[in-house]
Amino acid sequence: MSLSISHLVVLVPLLPLLGAIATVLLGRRLGPRAHLPALAGIGAAAAVAALVLLGTAADVRGGHGEPSRPVEVITTLWNWATVADAGVADTASGTPLGGAATATAPFSIPVSLRVDPLTATLLVIITGVGLLVAIYSIGYMHGDPGYPRFFALVAMFVFSMSMLVAASNFLLVYVFWEAVGACSYLLIGFWYSKPQAARAAKKAFLVNRVGDFGLAIATFLLWMTYGTLDFHDTYTADGTIVPGILGQTRLSDAAGYVGGAVGTAICLLMLLAACGKSAQVPLHVWLPDAMEGPTPASALIHAATMVTAGVYLVTRSAPLFIGCPGALTVVSIVGATTALVAALIATVQNDLKRVLAYSTISQLGYMFAALGTGTMLGFTAAIFHLVTHAFFKALLFLGAGSVMHAMGGVIDMRRFGGLRQLMPVTALTFVIGAAALAGVVPFAGFFSKDEILAALHSKAHPAAHASDHAEVRVAGGALPDAAAGPFRAASYRSDAAPRGAAGDAVGLDALDRPATFQWLYWMSLFTAGLTAFYTFRAVFMTFTGPLRVPEEAGHHAHESPREMTGPLMVLAVLSAGAGLVLFVTDALGRFLAATPSLSAPAIVATAVPHAFHLDLAIQGTLAAAIGIAVAAIGHYGRRSDSATTARWLGPLGPILANTFYFDALYRVAIVKPLEALALVAALVDRYVVDAAVDAIGRVPGTWGAVARRLQSGLLQRYALAGVVGVLAIVLALAWQLRP
Amino acid sequence: MIPAPLLINALLVGAGLFCLGLVGILTRRNLIVMFLCAELMLQGVSVTLVAWSRYHGDWGGQVLTVFVLTVAACEAAVALVFVLQAFARTGRLDAAAWQSLREETLPRVIDRELPEGDAAGPTWPTLTPAGVRPPEDASHTLEREHV
Amino acid sequence: MDPATVPAPSGLLLAASVAMLAAALWLLLPKSSDTLASRRLGILLGALALVGFAATGRSLGSVGENGVFLTVSAVALVSGLATVVTRSPVYAAIWFAMALAGVAGVLLTLGAQFLGVATIVVYAGAILVMFLFVLMLAQPSGMAPYDRVTNEPMLAASAGAVLLGLLSMSIGRLSAIEPPACCRMPSRADAIASGSAAPVSPEAGDEVARLGAELFGRHLFSVEVAGILLLVALVGAIAVVSRGEAAAESGREAA
Repeated sequence: MSLSISHLVVLVPLLPLLGAIATVLLGRRLGPRAHLPALAGIGAAAAVAALVLLGTAADVRGGHGEPSRPVEVITTLWNWATVADAGVADTASGTPLGGAATATAPFSIPVSLRVDPLTATLLVIITGVGLLVAIYSIGYMHGDPGYPRFFALVAMFVFSMSMLVAASNFLLVYVFWEAVGACSYLLIGFWYSKPQAARAAKKAFLVNRVGDFGLAIATFLLWMTYGTLDFHDTYTADGTIVPGILGQTRLSDAAGYVGGAVGTAICLLMLLAACGKSAQVPLHVWLPDAMEGPTPASALIHAATMVTAGVYLVTRSAPLFIGCPGALTVVSIVGATTALVAALIATVQNDLKRVLAYSTISQLGYMFAALGTGTMLGFTAAIFHLVTHAFFKALLFLGAGSVMHAMGGVIDMRRFGGLRQLMPVTALTFVIGAAALAGVVPFAGFFSKDEILAALHSKAHPAAHASDHAEVRVAGGALPDAAAGPFRAASYRSDAAPRGAAGDAVGLDALDRPATFQWLYWMSLFTAGLTAFYTFRAVFMTFTGPLRVPEEAGHHAHESPREMTGPLMVLAVLSAGAGLVLFVTDALGRFLAATPSLSAPAIVATAVPHAFHLDLAIQGTLAAAIGIAVAAIGHYGRRSDSATTARWLGPLGPILANTFYFDALYRVAIVKPLEALALVAALVDRYVVDAAVDAIGRVPGTWGAVARRLQSGLLQRYALAGVVGVLAIVLALAWQLRP
Repeated sequence: MIPAPLLINALLVGAGLFCLGLVGILTRRNLIVMFLCAELMLQGVSVTLVAWSRYHGDWGGQVLTVFVLTVAACEAAVALVFVLQAFARTGRLDAAAWQSLREETLPRVIDRELPEGDAAGPTWPTLTPAGVRPPEDASHTLEREHV
Repeated sequence: MDPATVPAPSGLLLAASVAMLAAALWLLLPKSSDTLASRRLGILLGALALVGFAATGRSLGSVGENGVFLTVSAVALVSGLATVVTRSPVYAAIWFAMALAGVAGVLLTLGAQFLGVATIVVYAGAILVMFLFVLMLAQPSGMAPYDRVTNEPMLAASAGAVLLGLLSMSIGRLSAIEPPACCRMPSRADAIASGSAAPVSPEAGDEVARLGAELFGRHLFSVEVAGILLLVALVGAIAVVSRGEAAAESGREAA
C-alpha cells in the first residue's frame, strides 16, 4: 500500500496544477465552461486524496503496537539544488547535532513529498472543500468577466496548499507558504478595479510579509542549528543516517531538540509566521479586509484552508515547541487573546461576511490556544477543530455568499431580514453551520470546542486530571531505548549534546504555570458564549423576522441555483455529523497520534485515554445557551442593530466598533512613519538621483547646442574650418621639423 | 634634369599659386570664381609636380600632371552642370544661396552692407548695330504660296 | 649651384612678407569700404610681398635665365592674385587665362614643353571657354551683390598667407630635409647616378617623345582609366542636365 501511496501523493498537487494550466491555456476558448479543467483537476485530486487517507489509515491500523507506530511515506521527486560544502557555521552556542551534519555537509534541497496522518487529513480537507467551493463557484461566479481566471487561481491555490502540507522540507514549506500567500493576494484582489479590493489585497500581502519574514529567519536558524531542513531522515548510500529535523532518529533521542534561547527564538519566529498566515493578534488585521474577494475564495482560503496553515506549521513543528514551554505558552496566550478580541469585535459588526471573518480569527485563536497546551490532547483537538471548522465555516461563508448573491451584492445585515421565506435551503444550512460554530450539542463545533476546553482545563488544573495519565507519565520525556531501537543506526552519534539542551531555561518559561492556563480557560469559555451570541445575532438578523429585501437585489431575490445549494447541503451534513462521528469513534485522535511529529516521547507522554468530560461539556453548553439566549432576547425585544447595541455596550462600544484601534495604531505607528520615509526617499529620488541623471543627460545636449552653431549652411565656412585645421597640422609639422 | 635653385623657385611659384587659389576659394562667393580658384590651386600643384619630376629626371610627375589635366576637365564638366542646376533653382551663382542647409534654429547670415560704387558693373564693349532685320512683307509671303 | 651656398632668407623677411601678403589680400578683396586709395595700397603691399617672397628664392646664375623665370612666374602670380580679387567673374576668368599663360611659361622654363603647351590648349582653350559659356548663361545683368562682398576675408587671407609662409620656409630649408635613401622612391636620377640608366638627352623633341612613351608604355592602363573617366563625366553631365531641367520645369509648374 505504501508504494501506491507514494505515487498517489504526487497526483494530489499535480492534478490541480494541470487543471490550472489547462484553464489558463484554454480558459478563453472554453468561455462559460472554463470551470471544467479546474473542476476536473480538483475533483480527481480529492478522489486521490481520499485514497491516500484510506491507505494511510490502513497503515496506521496495521501497526497494533501501543503507543501508535509513527507512519510516514516519503517520496523524493528530484533534487532541487545541492550546495556542496555548505558548512554549518560553528557558532558560539555549540556544534551541530550529531556527526552527520559536520562543518562540510552538503546542503541539498530535495523536492520530497510526505504522507503521514496529519498530511493525509489536511489533503482531504483541502481538496474536498476545494471541490465543493469550485462547484459552488460555477453558480456564484457565473457571468463574471474573470470567470476562467477565478478557476485557474482556485486550482493554483489547491496545488500550492497541497504542496504546503505535503512538503517534507522547511524550505519547500516556505516556498509554498509564499505561493498560497500569492494566490490569496490574487483572489482578494480578484476584482482589482475596485479600490477597496486592491487595497485589501495589498494589505493582506504586506501584513503577511511580516509573518513570512519570521518563517524565513526561523528557517535560517533551523539550518544553523540542525544542519538540515528536511523533516525526514535521509539514508545515504554508505548506510549512515542524516537525521531530519522531524525524523524518527531525532524524535527518539531525548536530547534531540534544542531548547533555551535558540529553540525559543525558532519557535517564536514560527509563531510569528503562523500569526501572519492564520491572522492571529497582532497580525490579524488583514483577514477582515480580505472579505473584499469573491465569497467562494473567502470560504476556501480565508476560512477553511489557507488560514489554518499556521496551525499546521505549529502542529508539524510540535517537537520543537515541546522543548520550549515558554514559547508554547505564548502560543496559547496569543490564541486565547485573539479568540476573545475577535469575538468581541464580531459582536458589533453589521457586515455578514465580516462577522464570519472575525469569527474565523476567533476560531483560529481557539486552535492556537489548544496547540499551546503542548499535550497530545491539545494537538489533536486543534486539528479536530481545524477539520470541523473547515466544514462549518466554509458552509457559513458559502451560505453568506448565497445570501449576497440573492441580495445583489448587499451584505449589510441591517438592510435585509426574514430571508428564510425566500431561501429555505440557505437558511436551514446556515442555521446548521451557526449551531456548529456556536457549539450546540450534537453539531460538530460542540465536540471540537469541548476538546479544546478540555485540553486547556487539563493544563490549568493538572491535579484534577492527574489520574487520567499517571500511568504513562515518564520523567524527562525520555522513552526507553527499545522504542527508538530501529532508528538508532550505528553511525548516528547521539552523544554529541545539542546546544542549549533542555537544562537552560528561558525567562519566558516562567509563563508555563497552571495559573496562566486558568486565565486562558476562562477566557476561552467566555469566548464560547460570545461566539454563540454573535453567530445567532447574525442568524436572527438575516433569516428571521419580516421579509426585507434591499432594492439592489432586483430579480436575484430567490433561492440560489443547484450548483450553490448542493455544496451547502453536503457541508451542512458534514457540519452536523462529522463532530459526533469523529468524537465517538475517536478515529481522528488515534489516526493523528501516528503522525511522526506527534510521536515525540514528550508528547506521547501526555496522551490521555479518550474520554467525554461531562463537567466541561456542561460549562461549554451553558455558555453557548446563554449566548444564543442573549442574541434572541436582543433581537426580539429591540432590534440588535448598532444604535441599541451601542447603548448596551457604553464606553466599550466605540472600542469594539473600531476593532480595538488596531488599524489606527498601525496607521500611526507603522504606516505614517513609513510613508514619511517613502516621501523622503521619493524626494531624494526626484531631486537628487533624477536630477543627477538629468544633468548627465543634459551634457551632450549642451555640447550639441554649442556645436550646432557651427552648422551655418555656408559652404565656405566649412572649408575655412578645414583649412585652419590643415594649417594647424602644418604648423605642428614645421615645429617638429625645425632645425 | 634641372638645377636645385630652379626647383626651389618653381616650388615657390607653385606654393604661391596654391595659396592664392585657396584664399579665393575661401572668400569668393561666386561659384564660377570659386571654380577658377580651384583650377588655380591645381595649377600650383602641377607646377610643383613638374618641378620635382624634372629635378629627379623621372617621368612620373609629368604623367601625373597629365592626369591632373584630365581630371580637371572632368571636374569642370560635371561641376559646371551642377552650377547650372543650382542657378536654375535660385537664379543666383551665390554659394551662400544654399544657407537653408544650416541648423534649424540658427539665424540666416545676411550681408549687412554692400558697396554702392560698382553696383552697375563693368561696361562691356559693344558692337555698332548692323544687319537690321527687314520688316515682314505680307504680299511676299502670299507670293510664296504659289511656289 | 649648390643651394647650401646661397644664404637662406631671414625669418624676419619671411614674416614681413606674410604680413604684407595678408594685408594686400584683405585690402584688394571686394568689400563695402573699398576706396581707390585702399586698392592702391593693396597693390603696393602685394608687390612688396611678391618681392619679399622672391627674395626667398635662389639665383639661377645667368641674368637671362633669371629674367625669363622671374617674368613668367611674376605673370603667373600677379594674374592669380588678380583672378582672386577681381569683382567681375568675366574679368576673373580672363585673368585666370593670363595666369595660365604664366604657368605655361614656368612649365616651359622647367623643360616640360608638352605640358606647357597642353595647359594652354586644354585649359585656356577648352576649360576656360566652358567657364565663360556658363557665365554668359548664368550671369545676371549688372554686378551681382555676391560678387561685391566676400566671405571672412580677414581670416581667409591670414590663413592663406601663413600657409604660404610656412611652405616657403619649408622649401627654403629643402636641403636640410632630403629624405634618407631608404625612403626615397627609386628614381631615374638614382638610376643615372648608379650607372644603370642612360642620362636623359636634352633635346626638346626627345622630351615629348619620351613622355609619350612613358604615358602609353608604363602608364597605359592609367591612361585608359582616365579616358573612361572622361567618358563617364561626359555622360553624367548630360544625364544631370536633362533630368535637372525636367525637375526644374516640374518645380516651376508646381509653383
